[in-house]
Amino acid sequence: MRIGALFLGLFRLLVYTFLLAPLVIVVLASLNAGNFLTFPPQGLSLRWFWTFLENDVFIDAIVYSSILAAGATAVSLVIGTMAALYFVRHAKREAEIVRIGVLLPLILPEILTAIALLFFFYEIGIGTEYKIALFTGHVLMTLPFVFLNVTTSLQGRDDSIELAARTLGASRYTAFRRITLPLIAPGMATGGVFAFIISFDTFGISFILKGSGSAPLPIQLYDYLRFNFTPEAAAVSTVSIILTLVLVTLADLLFSRNSKA
Amino acid sequence: MRRFRASLLILPAAALIFLFIVLPYVTVLVMSFRAPGANGEPYGPGFGLQGYAQFFDEGYYLWSLPQSLLLGIVTTFVCLVLAYPIALHIAGARRRWRGLLYGIVLSPLLIGIVIRSYGWTILLGNSGVINSTLRDLGLIQRPLPLMYNDFGVVLALSHVFLPFMVLPLLSALQSMDPAVKQAARSLGARPFTIFRRVTFPVSMPGVQTGCILVFVLAISSYVTPALVGGMRVKTTTLLVVDALIDQFQWPFGSAMALILAVSAGVIVLIFARLTAMKWN
Repeated sequence: MRIGALFLGLFRLLVYTFLLAPLVIVVLASLNAGNFLTFPPQGLSLRWFWTFLENDVFIDAIVYSSILAAGATAVSLVIGTMAALYFVRHAKREAEIVRIGVLLPLILPEILTAIALLFFFYEIGIGTEYKIALFTGHVLMTLPFVFLNVTTSLQGRDDSIELAARTLGASRYTAFRRITLPLIAPGMATGGVFAFIISFDTFGISFILKGSGSAPLPIQLYDYLRFNFTPEAAAVSTVSIILTLVLVTLADLLFSRNSKA
Repeated sequence: MRRFRASLLILPAAALIFLFIVLPYVTVLVMSFRAPGANGEPYGPGFGLQGYAQFFDEGYYLWSLPQSLLLGIVTTFVCLVLAYPIALHIAGARRRWRGLLYGIVLSPLLIGIVIRSYGWTILLGNSGVINSTLRDLGLIQRPLPLMYNDFGVVLALSHVFLPFMVLPLLSALQSMDPAVKQAARSLGARPFTIFRRVTFPVSMPGVQTGCILVFVLAISSYVTPALVGGMRVKTTTLLVVDALIDQFQWPFGSAMALILAVSAGVIVLIFARLTAMKWN
């Protein structure tokens, strides 16, 4: 029995290592001073970060991805929050259909959705022009995350407080702003952060719908990795990982302050 | 009036899903029955079954299907074996530790799929971390073939989708009343018997959801097989994208995508039926 427990503990440790290893290795590789991704590293250096900072392609891609993610998140936040309010407060028999419908972009294979959107926009004569298809795809991909998080923050909450406010003479708008909004704010914050990260990282949609001109970061990284083996890609990835960590930490701080109040 | 005002809330989401999910998927279905195009056109006038015929005529495409499905099944199995002890561990962990362990499990989700696959290429390559270390230790002369094959792809896919197995398992396990376990123990059941008769049946809905999620995600993933398999592991999804984007054969690519989706659906249904029969 003792040996069994030891074996199980070792197995768990291996799985946790397995989960973290590729991320740790990318960060370590970015500090490699050598010209190639050799191991063990030929000394430590930040030179690949400087190379990356001088490479307009990657800087442009990060800026482009951030703008795209911010735009998609803003639209998703509005549409997803409205849908969540409807789902928790008003949906009756159709609740299951609403839930599955809004979660469809998450359930369906991303690459197939991307192809479907490509055909659709081609058929209506827009194609991949003006980045409309790309933006729509990103809104679709991020919508389920806003919906799920806001739904969670609403469930188990009584909507009688809002009714009470209305009976006491608050206008519909005031009741929403003073009662409902503070209730769902943490869910919106978490959902928004999730949405931003998903949009920033999503591949299939961007790969199929990017069109001509500048491309989001994952696409540039993928194109680069197919033909290059320098640690510069690791430096770019490390920056992306740090950005994500900062975002998550910020949201966590915001969220824990909210739940204390 | 109240109903009407409320339904305005769902209107934007409903319109978005209908316009940009339902209609586009219908477009794919219609596209798969179109005639192939000539002179660089993605599709021609009229309809036909040529897209489907091409898939079944050429062994190169036809054989990719069972291989992809098998790759998905093996990945799902590996994920289940790796995820179960982790889910049990987190479900039973003290509050203080739970957050940290949860974070470790979720962390791969927050990092882009390109970066995660790239991490695996650094680890598994011929001059990668694992092969270099083994060579320096004198354990091997020639690098082990860890990448550009099914092994590497399954390993990387299992990593990429492991969180999707742990999370449903965890939520199923956490719904279990700890008193049931205690009751079984006080009635003299051994730990393994408790697991077999109490814990595992309770976690069955989580096993189902996790397996279906991982299987569907694995067979439809593009980046990981492309980077870690180095285009040498030809999955149907890679061939679909190749037919649509590089060869510009839209009816054929659509037919292939639908055949993959229907095959996956059949496997999911069989799996759901089998697991339901056993445990309900």
